[in-house]
Amino acid sequence: MTEYDRILADLIKGLAPFTNGKTVTENTELVGDLDLDSLKIMELLLFVEDSFDISIPVSILPDVKTVGDLAKQVEKILGNA
Amino acid sequence: MNQELNVEIMPSATPTLSALPLRLADFDTLASALDYAAQGESGANFYAGSGKLATVLPYKTLRNQAQTLAKRLLSFPLERGARVAIVAETNPDFLRFFFACQYAGLVPVALPAVIHIGGHKAYVNQLNGLLKGCRASLAVSSSQLLPFLTEAAEGLGLQFANAASAFDELPLKDITLQPSGPNETAYLQYTSGSTGFPRGVIITQESVMANLLASGHGLDVRVDDRLVSWLPFYHDMGLVGCLLAPMASQRSIDYLDTRDFAMRPRRWLELLSSSRGTISFSPPFGYALCVRRLRPEDIAQYDLSAWRVAGIGAEPIHVELTDRFCELLAPAGFKATSFVPSYGMAETSLALSFAPLGTGVVVDWLDSDDLADNFIATKVSPNTGSSFVRCGPILPKHEVLILDEQGKTLAEMQIGRINVRGPSIMSGYFELPEQTQLVLSADGWLDTGDLGYLVDGQIVVTGRHKDMLIINGRNIWPQDIEAIATRQPELRSVDASAVSVPGPEQEEIAVLIVQCNITDADEQHLLTQRLHREIHEELGINCTIELVPRHTLPRTSSGKLSRSGARKGYLLRQKTQSEADLELTSKKA
Repeated sequence: MTEYDRILADLIKGLAPFTNGKTVTENTELVGDLDLDSLKIMELLLFVEDSFDISIPVSILPDVKTVGDLAKQVEKILGNA
Repeated sequence: MNQELNVEIMPSATPTLSALPLRLADFDTLASALDYAAQGESGANFYAGSGKLATVLPYKTLRNQAQTLAKRLLSFPLERGARVAIVAETNPDFLRFFFACQYAGLVPVALPAVIHIGGHKAYVNQLNGLLKGCRASLAVSSSQLLPFLTEAAEGLGLQFANAASAFDELPLKDITLQPSGPNETAYLQYTSGSTGFPRGVIITQESVMANLLASGHGLDVRVDDRLVSWLPFYHDMGLVGCLLAPMASQRSIDYLDTRDFAMRPRRWLELLSSSRGTISFSPPFGYALCVRRLRPEDIAQYDLSAWRVAGIGAEPIHVELTDRFCELLAPAGFKATSFVPSYGMAETSLALSFAPLGTGVVVDWLDSDDLADNFIATKVSPNTGSSFVRCGPILPKHEVLILDEQGKTLAEMQIGRINVRGPSIMSGYFELPEQTQLVLSADGWLDTGDLGYLVDGQIVVTGRHKDMLIINGRNIWPQDIEAIATRQPELRSVDASAVSVPGPEQEEIAVLIVQCNITDADEQHLLTQRLHREIHEELGINCTIELVPRHTLPRTSSGKLSRSGARKGYLLRQKTQSEADLELTSKKA
């Protein structure tokens, strides 16, 4: 299992409270598919920051659409740490 | 964060008490106010997401840095009053650039730093529109956001658009600084929300100082006051209320980043407790976020007994929320009488009225039918009818009139358009004379766009006659939502109306009603999903999408789409639907 796969699996687990039972893959869109509003996005980011012990710069969000995009960004931040 | 800055890192926050005698904003310009504040020890303190103090910026340091930077900015050939756009993140650089403009006789313009997930293109477009709208000569952002600023500034012919650190490499112009004078523009404030037609409010030094002076007295600012804020600097309440006001009365302030607050709202209460904050403002949305995230075990750790002004305004105030907040936080020493309902807007610098201190939230309960049908505020017994919060008397030296549709002055308890006049009012919208004329009369009366009435001289806001939506504390213009709909290939320009309807917890919910000829369920689903996503990317809100057959949306007599008609239709369909659902359920049972 690669680092990316592990992060992705953790993210999908962490998304469970937000998904209303929908199946989540790396191609699932956070807004388009999961209907996350800005408050839920904040709760998700809080989960990501706390569980990976990282700080997510505001500048990466605009280019995140899918769960996979988010996993890649987390991987990048962890790699730089 | 901000390691790149040339800011002194100090071990502790600036003090609350200062030997410098308190002066309540009785200065003629922002620069002279900072000159005075710089003689004391107070200043601004920036807290990181971790809750740790990251940077301390005493007003003394701020003044020195701002004057140096002013000379660097003037190394460009700029006309007096040229606009300097600042992407407004909550960091010391924003203050440094804002006040450098004051000392250089330039006009700062705060640009939003809020980016929605997946919203790259939308954010760049928004910045581009604002840079164009104010015809910025210079633009600055953090190095983090520079790629967006660079993209947005492309082709606009700015003299320099770069990261804050790059400005520090510029040569110092050898001149004596001539700060912005009383009759000059202090700043441009873009009204929140509309990306389609941004309007920059022009506020002169005289106007903002008049507002700061009146507000300082209105809040009875004292030597032992300390402010705490998480409001963004591109918002009038954040800029004027939580940056200029503390500086102009030489008080210290503790800042939390807006996004850190949105993620961890409890940090606001922690910071108020640890720094013994006495004044802090928020839209109702911020209090609601705290209520939602509070854990019972947290409450014992807070000490909010010093918080004497819990300002609340900028969107409708519901007494259920303030009651709930008081109930939850009373054990932490929060007093219900600390709530100060407030009314104001960017067009009036900031504040127009504060509820009398120490009274808390005072509610009028009104007959809903008289309100809707006769525009009359008829009092009914508490907890029946509709509730509205009293926002206090208009500030000294300002006037308020309630006018009917014909412009006739109405008596107390009659509902009409709130018009105001006084020294805090804007000079107009930047380079938009028609827009200015729509709201500002030749004799200085501003039509606020709000509906309300007066009771015992206090202003009560009951609604808006403009169609703006307020979602999670942010102003959203229906035109912006509709524009996203009508640019879809399968839709035409008259196919969409955006409105807001009450949600299950009294919050406003955005609804976009779209008429189209699509009958295929899959195609309908795809269109709905696309609209939902694009609205979120551009505006950061969840919007309910309703597809209806063509010719469903009602029009006004002049042939325009009627948003109020569209709203009525939507609510009627919802009601019919829920009644049908109910019937179905009872039949099954």
